[in-house]
Amino acid sequence: MLEPILQTSELSVSAGSKKILNPVSLDIPEGGVFGIIGPSGAGKSTFLKSINRLTELSNGLKVSGQVYHRGDPVYGVGVDTDNLRSRIGMLFQQPVVFPCSILANTLFGVRHLGKVPRKEWNNVAEKALREAALWEEVKDRLKKPGQQLSVGQQQRLCLARTLATGTDVILMDEPTSALDPRSTEAIEGLILDLKETHTIVLVTHNMRQTERVCRTVAFIGLRDKVGTMLATGKLTDLQTKCCEIPELEDYLCCELTEPIPKAKAC
Amino acid sequence: MKRKLIHHLFRALTGLCALASCAILAGIVASIVMRGWSALNWDFFTQQIALVGASGGIFYNVIGTLILLATAFVVCTPLALGFSIVHSVYLRDSHWRGKLTLLLYLLNGVPSILFGIVGMVIFVQVLGWGKSWLAGGILLGLMILPTVSVTLIERIGSLPIKYTEAAIGLGLRKSQIIRSVILPQSIGGLITGLMLGLARAAGETAPIMFTATIFAGASIPGGIKESPVLSLPYHIFILAQDSYDPAVKAKLWGSALVLIILVLGLSLVALPARLKIHEEANHA
Repeated sequence: MLEPILQTSELSVSAGSKKILNPVSLDIPEGGVFGIIGPSGAGKSTFLKSINRLTELSNGLKVSGQVYHRGDPVYGVGVDTDNLRSRIGMLFQQPVVFPCSILANTLFGVRHLGKVPRKEWNNVAEKALREAALWEEVKDRLKKPGQQLSVGQQQRLCLARTLATGTDVILMDEPTSALDPRSTEAIEGLILDLKETHTIVLVTHNMRQTERVCRTVAFIGLRDKVGTMLATGKLTDLQTKCCEIPELEDYLCCELTEPIPKAKAC
Repeated sequence: MKRKLIHHLFRALTGLCALASCAILAGIVASIVMRGWSALNWDFFTQQIALVGASGGIFYNVIGTLILLATAFVVCTPLALGFSIVHSVYLRDSHWRGKLTLLLYLLNGVPSILFGIVGMVIFVQVLGWGKSWLAGGILLGLMILPTVSVTLIERIGSLPIKYTEAAIGLGLRKSQIIRSVILPQSIGGLITGLMLGLARAAGETAPIMFTATIFAGASIPGGIKESPVLSLPYHIFILAQDSYDPAVKAKLWGSALVLIILVLGLSLVALPARLKIHEEANHA
């Protein structure tokens, strides 16, 4: 049994008096891809952002409970949130490329975090761009603006930027939702490669993607209009739980075009 | 029928107001150009004042005005940057932000003559500088601080939040985000604010007349104490009182034309950056 790299303990989120996410307790093992699925507005992205405290950027969001990263509490007095975020990176739904060159974008985190000596920067950039499968496409135009790349390439550049900081966990918030099928395939291939060396927490709506890349899945559904984690396990296990959890059945029926073989057994 | 009539009436009225504003501006500029054009020649720009303004040129007045503007620029830039960053970044979610905004608007509303009087008390009397270019520059810098800060705050506010979010997601500290994300992208706002502010400062007479400028007898200042400069607005102010003399009148309009060229020039430099900020704010 793999040791969990991330653990959430009764992690809940509210905005004023409105509850957004009911307490979630789960273990995310080291290595591999942990998927989070569920309908829109169920609080999947909020849950993801609460793992590295990015919820603090949204006014009025209050997080209760605790998250542990390698056993260390994420919430609490004296926690260096900036250092935490450099170890738990984030890939957003839309690629966010800074208005500077491809190289500067790749090194954006590295040059400020001070973990890597300056003379190593170029090597770090090359390694990160290779890991993000972008090196061959950009090696001759590293000084060109990053915003000139295609959307798919921009998303891979953002991934390279995150990888360059030496992060061990990557939170991905629907990273392929803005991409065409070809770019989606490229990112999925990258996720499969990266799962050998990193832990990836992936929020997705795409059930085929979940099937292809996720080892374990958590389903966050809307119960009484509040996001609630209703099931965890392998996707096939979740499918068998359909008849016990109506929200899950509704969700899977809408998301899957093909019939769910195991659900028929219910 | 009635709705259509109101619609056309409203359109005509607003059009008339816009036209009137443009006509007034065009009228003022045209009037100054027609009266002042004849005074402009090489000697006017290169000679110093003579015969109490009836002869000579405005060389040291232009130099003095530029010295005052450059000092205001140096004084205002760090203050506006600091103020805007504290307002927009460090106090983003604080109730102090509103109070700071109020303070800024109050400062903007202070009549320029009060700046002059307060400046005279502090610099001339308490510090004993006498009339000094530095006192005038500091006062002008403080006077344009609200204009520059508001433009910069607007610019920072219009920056897409995604950049800050991405930088925070990488683990950058607030000071690093300010340096690497906010400042490089706000430079347009700073330049716009400064140009608009300096355009206003260029024409101000009240804050400098008691503290920094005299009518004649000054050239390039050699120190701080008792080092006044000549300036265009004060020159115009004095000449206007003797404008019944045709020779003075010609110099008066010539000086006014140079001042308006300076002000319009600074405003025009700021225009493209200002339009870009509004465009980005609308698309953010």
